[in-house]
Amino acid sequence: MASLRKTHPLLKIANDALVDLPAPSNISVWWNFGSLLGLCLIAQILTGLFLAMHYTADINTAFSSVAHITRDVNYGWLIRDMHANGASFFFICLYSHIGRGLYYGSYLYKETWNIGVVLLLLVMATAFVGYVLPWGQMSFWGATVITNLLSAVPYVGNTLVQWIWGGFSVDNATLTRFFAFHFLFPFVVAGATMVHLLFLHQTGSNNPLGLNSNADKIPFHPYFSYKDLLGFAALLIALVTIALFTPNLLGDPDNFTPANPLDTPPHIKPEWYFLFAYAILRSIPDKLGGVLALLASILVLLVVPFLHTCKMRSMTFRPLSQLLFWTLIADVAVLTWIGGMPVEDPYVIIGQIASVLYFSIFLILFPLAGWVENKLLESI
Amino acid sequence: MASRAPVATGRLLIGFRKWYYNLAGFNKLGLMRDDTLYEDSDVAEALRRIPENQYNDRVFRMKRALDLSMKQQILPKEQWTKFEEDVQYLSPYLKEVIQERKEKEEWMKN
Repeated sequence: MASLRKTHPLLKIANDALVDLPAPSNISVWWNFGSLLGLCLIAQILTGLFLAMHYTADINTAFSSVAHITRDVNYGWLIRDMHANGASFFFICLYSHIGRGLYYGSYLYKETWNIGVVLLLLVMATAFVGYVLPWGQMSFWGATVITNLLSAVPYVGNTLVQWIWGGFSVDNATLTRFFAFHFLFPFVVAGATMVHLLFLHQTGSNNPLGLNSNADKIPFHPYFSYKDLLGFAALLIALVTIALFTPNLLGDPDNFTPANPLDTPPHIKPEWYFLFAYAILRSIPDKLGGVLALLASILVLLVVPFLHTCKMRSMTFRPLSQLLFWTLIADVAVLTWIGGMPVEDPYVIIGQIASVLYFSIFLILFPLAGWVENKLLESI
Repeated sequence: MASRAPVATGRLLIGFRKWYYNLAGFNKLGLMRDDTLYEDSDVAEALRRIPENQYNDRVFRMKRALDLSMKQQILPKEQWTKFEEDVQYLSPYLKEVIQERKEKEEWMKN
């Protein structure tokens, strides 16, 4: 007589994902970031919903509505700070989750991986349009710089930009539609997340050794339900600590100034989580080239599964690939630093070298290392 | 002189391979190289062909390795798989499977 949780049409969906799901016994803390991303999404939707109750998407009142939320709405300051810093935590979890995928060869689950890349693009788009909403100087000028990049598209570029703007510059029409997108996209992310999990549950999770783990599976509940709960506590403690002690640590002081189309800030830059891509964009002197490099910096993830050459899945037993992986991480850190610097000596050449290294690691060095590692263990 | 050079480089090469084998680290979990091969369709088919006792030994080694990985531990040094004792038990079957697949693909062409 099977239990209701296994037979009821609705309950069995939850059961098969969160209770009786067979999971490898050895998945480490790097496997917590999936559920943490889910928590981040829920937190952003909830805080965002409450912000939307008091925010006005009009260029004359947007900035002051955020000030009103911060000063007059009950706990508005907390909701606003949690939402702004929650975005940073979203990206910390995203980059950790992707790093796990790269290191342990999880990308060999191609459908899950590809939907993951789509999710990354959706979240980046959501964060981009969301940053415009407070209508500060950096909101306005960041939107102006990035939307202008679309003019690099041959023939239809300028028409495309004005279509996105809803006018001849970033103005009220742009703000209102960006608010609509920012409200809509998280629900698209939620839907895509379910498809991401659907494909993941066809195969089951990978594990740190990259081996078939059928010999040692344990049920999701209680082992990973409790482990994930611990992860949630850790994330919430970190988020609340930042929001309460240093809420402006990761922000730009220029965004405390209302947007002024007649006053260009000396250093226009995005939030920290976009700086590596911004550095790659600026490393190419040509506008279209820069835009293509920007797109490629994310879309390169889609070719990674096809460039897997090693007979082992995970990098756990591959010291050469490990060295390259950590070089990549250091390189992304350098690109993040360069993205925040002005386009001057010596930052220009450093950014260009770091950009070339970024693509070289993915497209040439990782596949080469895999081939070498195969040869080294060939005939023992 | 000429006969000595290949032996010297052969010893050097084996010494290097042995050093890399230990650096890779799967031996510290009691695994053999063929245990670490990613299970694509070729490897899965080869696994269907190996003798039962070899398959059972493989499953034991993998379960032990997964358990050690969960506990963040390695085996005592005396139990590490030695470079000289590593047996490529799967490779002959895998070569056979790959050859059969390539032959089948060749026949499927026009």
